[in-house]
Order: sequence, then structure tokens, then C-alpha cells
Amino acid sequence: MSEIVIDNVGKVFGEGGGRPFLAIDGVDLRVEDREVISVVGPSGCGKTTLMRMVAGLEHPTSGEVRVGGKRVTGPGPDRAVVFQQFALFPWKTVRENITFGMRSRGATKAERDAAVAHYLTLMKMEGTEDKYPHQLSGGMQQRVAIARSYATDPGVLLMDEPFGALDAQTRTIMQEELVRLTNDNPRTVMFITHSVEEAVYLADRVVVMARNPGRIREIIDVATTRKAEKWSEEPIDDVMEMPSFTHLRGQVWRLLREQMGSDI
Amino acid sequence: MAEATTGRRPGVRFMSRSRLTGLLTVATVIALWFLLTSVTGLVGEFRFPSPPDFLAAFARLASTGYAGGTLLEQALQSLRLVAIGFAAAIAVGVPLGFVMGYDRRAEAFFNPIFLVLRPIPPLAWIPLAIVWLGLGDASKVLVIFVAAFVPSVINTYTGVRNVQRTLIEAALVHGAGQGRLIREVYLPDAAPMIFTGLRLSLQASWTTLVAAELVGAFLGMGRVLSTAYRDINTAMILVSMVCIAVLGAITMMILARVERSVIRWRKT
Repeated sequence: MSEIVIDNVGKVFGEGGGRPFLAIDGVDLRVEDREVISVVGPSGCGKTTLMRMVAGLEHPTSGEVRVGGKRVTGPGPDRAVVFQQFALFPWKTVRENITFGMRSRGATKAERDAAVAHYLTLMKMEGTEDKYPHQLSGGMQQRVAIARSYATDPGVLLMDEPFGALDAQTRTIMQEELVRLTNDNPRTVMFITHSVEEAVYLADRVVVMARNPGRIREIIDVATTRKAEKWSEEPIDDVMEMPSFTHLRGQVWRLLREQMGSDI
Repeated sequence: MAEATTGRRPGVRFMSRSRLTGLLTVATVIALWFLLTSVTGLVGEFRFPSPPDFLAAFARLASTGYAGGTLLEQALQSLRLVAIGFAAAIAVGVPLGFVMGYDRRAEAFFNPIFLVLRPIPPLAWIPLAIVWLGLGDASKVLVIFVAAFVPSVINTYTGVRNVQRTLIEAALVHGAGQGRLIREVYLPDAAPMIFTGLRLSLQASWTTLVAAELVGAFLGMGRVLSTAYRDINTAMILVSMVCIAVLGAITMMILARVERSVIRWRKT
């Protein structure tokens, strides 16, 4: 079981010197095992910081994060991260990148070969196993990064605006692929984005954050609507034009806009 | 294999064109050299040797020898000292630079030493090295070591300090321990900078070796150069300069080849 429990977490930056900055204040959130949540919010609301604390790359200054009942004290392969800038190892081939996390877990050569074949087929990237990242397009690189995290077989997948650096068309394809992947192979997913459409399309619940200090404004349920309206059976463009989708999107938008208003 | 050759084809064409230009430049310089010395006699032989004088001096050095040895003996002597001094310097310098870049405590400990040693020009060590170790090989190796050591440390240190944060994080969140982090992230990401350091170290090795041999040596290319200078033999001076340049270029090419075989993931 890989549920994420964020228990009254606060984060202050610059405590050692300089002016302390309260990035996150008293966040409580429970992500169920195999649930997909997306986190949206204005820049500076601490959504990436929150994800990084789950990853173990940052440490809360108050409260604690638990994954599968265990307190997070540092990074580990049970919580793989997909980064916005892909973060593939430039000196490793596609095959070596995909199997990087598997090797941490002691997977055999046969298992690794099988995984490479599986993910490359799944992502329609057959024949690229011996290419280096710079020989691939941005979309392909991000597919490899997702495959690397998936192949590590983590209970929790953390995604930090993974499609932010891609063009609109590639982005749409990747969103569909991710939905397929999480359907076939469910994981607990925390998906950070600043795209409202993406947040609503991908997640079971959308967490809307506010800033100054970073906190949760509201959590909107999507899973009930998705199931009732059978979103997963339609192509992404059609889903995004369905009234059920636009209604939820509007709801998230209003929550975000009300914050921007308070800014002006 | 087939893919590699086809992938290189445009590069080969570009190379041959630039190589052609290079050949033309060299040919022009040699023609001018002939014109100014042998043909018109505008430049006298005590200022600059003519091509035939140069070839004669080269033949003499290669066959009967000059300044205590033939070209082969002199060149091997210099090569050997550069190889020993350079190898010793990078064997200590690269690991030290790595530790300084990797560990904050090591950085705090070693950095002040470098701040003091770095401004001393390597050539300024020559007198002390000779006083300590005499005019033999040991003093040259010491001077080369000192000169080659600094750039290999500084560049390795900088390369390791600047390893991309996100790649370190990517390795950590995919379960890499310290050993894999060093081997599979720090070393490859710092490799281009480490090789820059090695190139600078190798250049420094040749510079200091020739200087040290000029000051005093029993054998070596610098000894050839200083003897030719005392004999006011401009042809031999030029021959030794060219030989030193060729030796330096050969060692740089070997290093470049090693670099290409280690860093295979580069775009070019």
C-alpha cells in the first residue's frame, strides 16, 4: 500500500540566514493508494516544494510526510520523480536510462531487457534503445523519463510539470498515454501542473493551492464524474468539450482566478 | 559501423575543405620562406635559416646527433619526463579535485592551500627544484608535476562542483547509492571539464619541461635548444622548436583520442 499522508506540513526557506520565507503552511492531504491527484496553483504557491518533500528532496520544517505508513526522510526508489526538464542521463542510452532505477532494485538482465522492450513498445519507440537522449525529440525524451520512473516500479509516481516543456500537440498525446498507462498499471500519482485542463483530465482529485503562504484552497473530486461520463473511453479532445469536463474546469478556474484578483 | 560512416560523411567533406585551406596556407608560408631566404637573401642566415639549412640541421640532429644525443634520444628523454610528470600530476590532481568538489569539508580544507600556491608561476619552482634535486630527471619531473597538478585539480574541482543538480536528484529518486552516484553521474557529467584540465596540464607539462631543460639538463629537447642558442645556430634552434611543437602536438592528439573514446555521448 502506497498512500501518501501529508500531515500538517510546513516549510520555511532561508532559516539558516537571510530572511525566512514561509513557503508552505499547515498542509494536510491524504492521497489514497493508486489514486491520481493533480496539484494546481499560482506560481509561488509551493506545489513543487510539496512534491519535493514527498520525494524526500526537501525536508518539512514542521509536520511530516508518510508514504505507505513510513516517514519520509530522504529520496528512494519507492517514490520515483519525473522532472519537468526530463533529467535523463545524457551519457546513457535509452536502454540504460530506462533501467537505471531497476538496477537500484537489483533486477536481473532478463528482467531489464523485458522492461525495455515492454516500455518502448508501449510508447511506440521501438528501435531507439541504443540512442542517446540528445538524438531524441523532446516528447520522446519525456517518454523515456516516464518509462524510467515506471520501470523502477515505485509505489508512488511524482510528476513535476512533466509536459510543461513540450509543444501542445506532443503534450496532448502524452496526456492520453499517461491516462492509458495509469489505467493499465495503476500507481499512486501526484501530478504537479499549471494547466487546469491537464489537471482535470488526468486526476481523480484536483488539489487547488493558494499562496502567501502556500496552502490548500480546495480539493475537487473528478473521479466520480469521470466514471459516470466514461471519459476514459473517449479521445482527449472530445472529453475536453464535454459539459461535465468544462463544468469542472470552470470550477477550478474560478478558484484560481479569485486568487489572481486578490493580487491586483 | 555502417551507421557511423554515413553519419560522418558531411563532416568528412567539411574537414577536407578546411584541410585544403590549411595546406594552401602552409604552402604559401614555405614559398615565402624560400623567397625571403634562399631566393632573394633578404633575411640573412644568422637571423633565420633557409629551408636547405633547416633540412641539413634536421638531418644532422637525426643522424649523428647534437648536444649529446640524436633526435630520437633527445625526444624520448623529453617525452619520458613529460609522461612521468604529467601522469603523476593527474594521478594526484584529479582525485584531489574530485574530493574537493564532492565534499564541502575537503573543499574547506584544501582550498586555502591552493589560494596560496596558485599565483606562483610554475617556472618559478625551477631554481628550488634544481637546488633540491640537481640537474637530473628528478628536478624536471618535480617541476612538471607542480605545473600540471594545478590545472587538473582546479578543473576537476570546478567540473564536479557544477554537476547538474537535477541529474543528481534524478539518480537519488531512482535509488542510486553513493557509489553509483559518483560513477554514473558525477564522473560522466564532470568528464568534459576534467579533460579540459588534462589538456591544460599537458600543455603546462611541455612548457615547464622545456624551460627546465633550458636552465640546465644533460639531455632533452630543451638542451638541444639551449646548445643551439649558445652556438648561434639558427637552423638548429628552429629544428628543435619544430620538434618540440610536433612532440607536443602528438601527445595532445593522443589525449584527444582518449577523450573521444571516453566521452562517446557528445553531440559532435
